[in-house]
Amino acid sequence: MASHEGLRFAADTGGTFTDLVIEGGRLGTRFYKRPTTPDDPVVGLLDVIGAAAGDLETTTPELLSQAELFVFGTTRATNAVVTRTTARTALLTTKGHPDILLLREGGGRTSLFDYAQEYPDPYIPRSQTFEVPERIDAGGSVLVPLDETATVDLIRHLGDAAIEAVAVSLLWSIVNPAHELRIGELLDQHLPGVPYTLSHVLNPSLREYRRTSSAAIDASLKPVMSSFLASLEQNLAARGFAGRLLIMTAAGGVLDAAAVAEAPIHSIGSGPAAAPVAGRHFAQIDAGADTAIITDAGGTTFDIGLLRRGKVPWTRETIVGHATYGFMTGFPSVDVRSIGAGGGSIAWVDEGGLLHVGPESAGAVPGPASYGEGGTRPTVTDACVVLGYIDPNYFLGGEMKLSAELAQKALGEIAEGLGTDLHAAAAAVLDLAIERMVSAIEGITLNQGIDPAAGPLIGGGGGAGLYAVGLARRLRSPSVIIPEVSAALSAYGALLSDLRRDYSVTHVASTDAFPLDTINQLLNELRSRCESFANGAGVMAESHEVVFSVEARYPNQVWEIDVPLRAGNFTSNGDVESLRQDFHDVHEELFAIRDEGSQVEAVTWRSSVLCHLPRPEPERASLVSQGRAASMRTAYFSSVGALDVPVRELDSIEVDETLRGPVLIESPVTTVVVDPGASATRLESGSLSLRLDGAF
Amino acid sequence: MAGLSEPTTPEGLQLALLNNRFEGIVRAMMNTLLRTSRSAILNTARDFSCCILTGADEMLAMAESLPIHVMSGPDLMARVMKDFHPELRRGDAYLHNSPYHGNSHAADWSVLIPVIDDEGSHRFTVLAKAHLADCGNSEPTTYLASARDVYEEGALIFPCVKVQEDYEDNEDIIRMAQLRIRVPELWHGDFLALLGAARIGERRLLELIDELGAAALERYAEDWFDYSEQRMIDAIKRLPAGSVTVDGRHDPVPGAPEGIPITTKVAVDTDGAIIEVDLRDNLDCQPCGLNLTEATARTAAMVGVFSGIAQVVPPNAGSFRRLRILLRENCVVGIPRHPVSCSAATTDVAEQTGKCVALALAKLGEGFGMAEIGKAQPPSMGVISGIDPREPGGAFVNQLVLATTGGAGTPEADGWLNILGVGAAGFLMRDSVEIDEMKYPIIVREQRLIPDSEGAGRSRGTPGAYVEYGPIEGCTMDVVWLSDGTYNPARGVRGGTDGAPAGQRKRGRDGELSDELGSYARVVLEPGETIVSMSSAGGGYGPPAERDPRRVEKDVREGWITVGRARDVYGVVLDETGVVDAEATARRRLEIGESA
Repeated sequence: MASHEGLRFAADTGGTFTDLVIEGGRLGTRFYKRPTTPDDPVVGLLDVIGAAAGDLETTTPELLSQAELFVFGTTRATNAVVTRTTARTALLTTKGHPDILLLREGGGRTSLFDYAQEYPDPYIPRSQTFEVPERIDAGGSVLVPLDETATVDLIRHLGDAAIEAVAVSLLWSIVNPAHELRIGELLDQHLPGVPYTLSHVLNPSLREYRRTSSAAIDASLKPVMSSFLASLEQNLAARGFAGRLLIMTAAGGVLDAAAVAEAPIHSIGSGPAAAPVAGRHFAQIDAGADTAIITDAGGTTFDIGLLRRGKVPWTRETIVGHATYGFMTGFPSVDVRSIGAGGGSIAWVDEGGLLHVGPESAGAVPGPASYGEGGTRPTVTDACVVLGYIDPNYFLGGEMKLSAELAQKALGEIAEGLGTDLHAAAAAVLDLAIERMVSAIEGITLNQGIDPAAGPLIGGGGGAGLYAVGLARRLRSPSVIIPEVSAALSAYGALLSDLRRDYSVTHVASTDAFPLDTINQLLNELRSRCESFANGAGVMAESHEVVFSVEARYPNQVWEIDVPLRAGNFTSNGDVESLRQDFHDVHEELFAIRDEGSQVEAVTWRSSVLCHLPRPEPERASLVSQGRAASMRTAYFSSVGALDVPVRELDSIEVDETLRGPVLIESPVTTVVVDPGASATRLESGSLSLRLDGAF
Repeated sequence: MAGLSEPTTPEGLQLALLNNRFEGIVRAMMNTLLRTSRSAILNTARDFSCCILTGADEMLAMAESLPIHVMSGPDLMARVMKDFHPELRRGDAYLHNSPYHGNSHAADWSVLIPVIDDEGSHRFTVLAKAHLADCGNSEPTTYLASARDVYEEGALIFPCVKVQEDYEDNEDIIRMAQLRIRVPELWHGDFLALLGAARIGERRLLELIDELGAAALERYAEDWFDYSEQRMIDAIKRLPAGSVTVDGRHDPVPGAPEGIPITTKVAVDTDGAIIEVDLRDNLDCQPCGLNLTEATARTAAMVGVFSGIAQVVPPNAGSFRRLRILLRENCVVGIPRHPVSCSAATTDVAEQTGKCVALALAKLGEGFGMAEIGKAQPPSMGVISGIDPREPGGAFVNQLVLATTGGAGTPEADGWLNILGVGAAGFLMRDSVEIDEMKYPIIVREQRLIPDSEGAGRSRGTPGAYVEYGPIEGCTMDVVWLSDGTYNPARGVRGGTDGAPAGQRKRGRDGELSDELGSYARVVLEPGETIVSMSSAGGGYGPPAERDPRRVEKDVREGWITVGRARDVYGVVLDETGVVDAEATARRRLEIGESA
């Protein structure tokens, strides 16, 4: 291959596939997909780099040596939490409060009357939880001084108990951190080499459960993520990579691998959090929209993110793993909801004749029945094969042969259960899978105060094209945008991401007695932390910006909402009044009501520094086409039945060309199903825009 | 292009899709309530529910509502709405909290909206219900055990009153409420949230009618009821046939110094696939606030059945067809007559009734029912009031929701730690200690499990929770609670043991604990004094000596039980490293078997 300088790489390890996007100069934008190797994700990563090298007619070292940047999205941290393969971690809490992680925030059941559910174990066992004699009150006064002798004894015991990491989370450490800081010093002194996390440093926010959970998850990940990231760096370096290794973070930005090793909770949700960043890009260039729903349809999960007035909303309620048995991180992160609905979701008919799809999944192993890897239960992918949407000989561009026969055999049990033919059964499975996705989208949009019909749907993931029209019809979306890189949306988002760091301080202040000087001082401190990041890690950025926001509420409310600040300081009471008005606006946008006469209580002050990395515009994305001729295939639509439908290769569609459904549009990584009554137009960017008749 | 085969829509799909749509609408209503309400009891604890009824007043969809709020009651209220207001129009909204007309208790305010289609036909009724932080009672609590009648209780009662017409408020009612409810701004915010939730439900249903047609939705409702009924038939046919009577007792309260005995007769007819619960053999209504309403008496029995059939059956009018619940008028577990007080109708006697029914199913056969869930609500859920010295004129009143555990052993699982009751079913959330300490002048000194307090069993109950709190310096504080389980602890079943009783004591400045203060008290705490709350632990299911020794080992390692209790009660002997000594365990279990 010809030499290209300054390539940028982004890889995203998903549950089923590892995606790689390479962009730069004349190479344009290329992407590749290979199966994920759960036992050692680095193997799958090297596989996909190898595939790229092969395609570009070069070698891995030669290709990697041209990379100035490698952004990596990894599920390593998430998987370690879900499978409980993190370090043996101790938790130090305030005396009297050992059960914060056990008791959670109450409730927790998710299925009425299902009394076969066991209560979830705490993230750190009680036997590894230790109470420290000390107490600080809500005003920051020391009620009980830290008993250092007892603390040192306790730390020595941790050494004896082979503890590998320590989380320290004391009540009100966010108001007065003295005791947590002192315990940190004692740990350095008496348990050197064992990593620890202080809750007020990592996540200075109210609510002991969430802060403790953040600290516990973070500490427990330190050993595993340090060694994983070190091994990743070594592996890449050994194969010629000499550029900068960045990791996608939960905040939808990127950070240096070393920074993530120090606070690995940043990498929870790494990957999925980047999809909305890519979604924002395509919403803007393809639809001129600043509000959109961004979906990522993978093999095992369907992830949903949002864009609201140009911003990607975030949450503190991210749960790692199962809704009941998973763990809330309590850590600010991009609001991406995930449901167990994907190509691998298993369908079944209960004894009352009711159809169900998911959440159980056939996963990557054995996978859908049509994979022929031993799976026998019918999945959504099998339904799409039966419907004629997926060409069994052209899955992943023919890399993987599927068996239509096995798919039909598996769907047979559904047809029997529903008392219909095979096609209707397969269509039913797909319809119900889409309905579950719709419910999840309605849930997150309602929470974030967005009308799902207010903006386009950005379809990412290999399955995007299978569900797009069905989703749009139910959500009344004005259009669906399927980017050319849809199958690697997160990886592409990573290339668009800023180097980003967030800081926060909790200080309660009401707008009717607002301590201007105190708050300005606090904001100044936040600003200087941002600036020193920009001058350190961000020094090679083209430019940077610092933005401020505050988590605030009406008095008596218990949940805060995030309100952007107009500036990094308050010059007068007029500025305070502006904040109050801005709060009313955001509250009304989210919850449809405003309380004009009410004061506002500010709780947590936040700053974010966004360093924009240099990104020369590459040439237009070009997909490796297999040059297949247009053809016909029989496909089934529940509105009209089985039809002979034209099949078009994505790359054969000209810009501005519009195809009317029914038509199937194929690329090596995805199939876009355009139903009767819908149409697809190729856009300048290479994206497809789908519309329903009458939906303009 | 010609169709090769005609499309069909399988019924099993149609049902699943529409069920998902209706449940989605209920969730949208609940989400609106959660996000827009003002009081902590709603937006933190989530003490609210929403549901959809058919035009014929049948329960259609309730999503994850609190069972005690909705299983029966909304049906009765929707019927009353039609009786009182024969001309229902689009834009109407009705406020209903009358315990004598289908509501649960006076503190639960319901907003009902009839969903009227474009032809003017009443197709559905949506209902949003929330437990208010205050309902204008004569004392600052929403569970007034000592009220001899509704007059002494003092709550404002709205027997399905039209509160909106043409989508406009009746301001008279708003003004009346503002004069009679403590912290009126808080109330008004919650009231708007209730209305908003019900209106969201109305709007979504009108869209659905528009999309699919009312006739199709009615057909769906019938099919969904038939499906659910069949699921219930199948579940009942798996139960052992027979009948059993289970008695229980609520702890003494003012007006009922001996406590309140409760008798439940449960008969399972597997041939006819009917479960009958007879609650008529109980005391007449009592001069206290613990009488049940028709809604909560009926629901308590239903909750007990649904919790004990060991199958997940969709709760709606279809599955309810297979339940026969017998009530009588003027009965403490029945149908109250005005002016009897039903102030605490959702918790105390209702809980005990539901627990008895679930216990009855357990007594009928192995694999069914459950032990008794620990009784609520000790001072960890007390109502605190006073003046906050941190701010001038800072009066406060609030129900705390600190740790109350109580999950009961079931045939397949240990107790769910945060269950709180059969009627709350592990869906109520708890306060953050930091949030409570910031908002109110209190210090929570301890919150932890009480080792060895669990009802032992093959599946064990959860231990009780120890909570100790008091006012900060400069503050004198009132605490009021209405608890159960101090004298009548949660019972184990099928060889499982009882959970430890509840306890409530005051600790003086000298550190000394008072005597037991009992189930209902109002206590004044000075700075330096604290209240100690020990919640009632859940009962165990099945003989403890049949519990998997590895689970006992884990309970010891995790500090839920001690080594001694593992040996004495569970017959599990651990070696010095904390690992099961299989041989010694076998010997010990033999001994237990012989002595039994």
